[in-house]
Amino acid sequence: MTVNMSGVLCTKSHEYAIQAGDVLKVGITDFAIEQLGDIVFVELPEVGTTFKKGEVFGTIESVKAASEVYLPVSGKIVEINEKVQNEPEIINEDCFGEGWLVKVADYDKADLEGTMYYDEYKHYLEQEEEEIV
Amino acid sequence: MNQKSGKTTLYEEHKKLGAKMFSFAGWEMPLQYSSVKEEHLTVRNKAGLFDVSHMGQVFISGKDALDFLQNLVPRDLSGLREGKALYSLLVNDNGGIIDDLIIYRLPDSESCRKFLLIVNASRIEEDLNRLLLFKNNFEVNIDNKSDELSMIAVQGPSSAEVAEALGLNKDDQPARFSLKQTELNGYDILIARTGYTGEDGFEIIVKNEDAPGLWQEILNRGESLGIKPVGYAARDTLRLEASLPLYGQDLTEDTTPVEAALCWAVSKDKKENYSGKEIILNQMTTKKVDRKLIGFKMLDKSVPRHNYEIYVDNQTAGQVTSGGFSPCINTGIGLGYINTQKPFSEGTKIDIMIRGKLHPAEIIKKPFYSRK
Repeated sequence: MTVNMSGVLCTKSHEYAIQAGDVLKVGITDFAIEQLGDIVFVELPEVGTTFKKGEVFGTIESVKAASEVYLPVSGKIVEINEKVQNEPEIINEDCFGEGWLVKVADYDKADLEGTMYYDEYKHYLEQEEEEIV
Repeated sequence: MNQKSGKTTLYEEHKKLGAKMFSFAGWEMPLQYSSVKEEHLTVRNKAGLFDVSHMGQVFISGKDALDFLQNLVPRDLSGLREGKALYSLLVNDNGGIIDDLIIYRLPDSESCRKFLLIVNASRIEEDLNRLLLFKNNFEVNIDNKSDELSMIAVQGPSSAEVAEALGLNKDDQPARFSLKQTELNGYDILIARTGYTGEDGFEIIVKNEDAPGLWQEILNRGESLGIKPVGYAARDTLRLEASLPLYGQDLTEDTTPVEAALCWAVSKDKKENYSGKEIILNQMTTKKVDRKLIGFKMLDKSVPRHNYEIYVDNQTAGQVTSGGFSPCINTGIGLGYINTQKPFSEGTKIDIMIRGKLHPAEIIKKPFYSRK
């Protein structure tokens, strides 16, 4: 699936959000995937659960470690990607497309103000890298 | 002299290879170079190269070297021949494990026995304290060379071919659990057929200044055989599949060899006294311990991790000490201690508490993986 990257918003904790009609599609970024390595298990919340912005909504297990994922907005989970629960490797292959995690409704667009467009995010990562070195 | 703390002599090599570094036992070690799964399978199918320079090398020599060591470990070393090695445990007065180590008997010098102990990086100090505590009564030299020596491991089914490509013919290679002093590509080395992955392979001890050259040489000459550098994330999944315990997680000063299911590293008929002997032998004969190390696999897709709780019949019954995802079995696996109040055996169903939910698992036979 080809994704229009200009519509991808990213967080500093490496989740992304894509607005699709009334819902927000949330997943983890390619950078997160690179850090995690091979993903082997995904734990997602039940449909209908509500979360506040910044709350843990799921866990991604890679061969290496377990990592929590944070919801970029306050809202209600209206759909989870059951396909990635059965085949977590899809996230490694296509994180922005088939490898999305949850869809959120009833969210406030203002919550997305602190996020970065994908190219800004890339720039942010480069700067982070320099600081680490 | 490059002190053994912080960075190994191979640090720059790891950076050049693009490794992601992390802190391990006070050392900056490579976590991974490419993908953990790929590195893991490289070791299972071909050969992997590891920097294990953080580990400690302690040489024991002198007239009483054998008697001295016999006082410290539950395994009988009297039958250990020159050039052979034994996995062993350093135990305290309560039978608790101070460290797990490999004891190599080196060629004798001037009619006295000489041993090399390869110990865990995190335990060098405790080990030396223990050795010094017992030194008084013996004519023995304890020589900690950890600061001067580096160690490189080649592990995997193609290891013998890799060594051959470096000029060490198969006939000249040490046999399993043996050690040789030799020359490799002009470098003076000690080469042992031991490892921590469950595969065939070698551990090569070399002077610090020779380590980068030897590392590069192994990668170059082994390239056509598929050798790749392997980081500590894969080292952990490899040793877990092979059910090899990790000190600090699966073994501590509070665990005895019997609890840790390491009775095979205790010589039941050993005549010599050693600290903790009475407790260990008593536990062995009565088979009475409060907890026991078990291996288990998950029955769903979840992954157990260090410190998760183990449940039996909905009651907390122990703790996971090592856990992870097994790339060879494609399932979450783990080692943990379970209390022995209720009977259990291979096939017993247990549960692991993962983020507030119980996930089904089953006690299974160790190791999880054995090489063909």
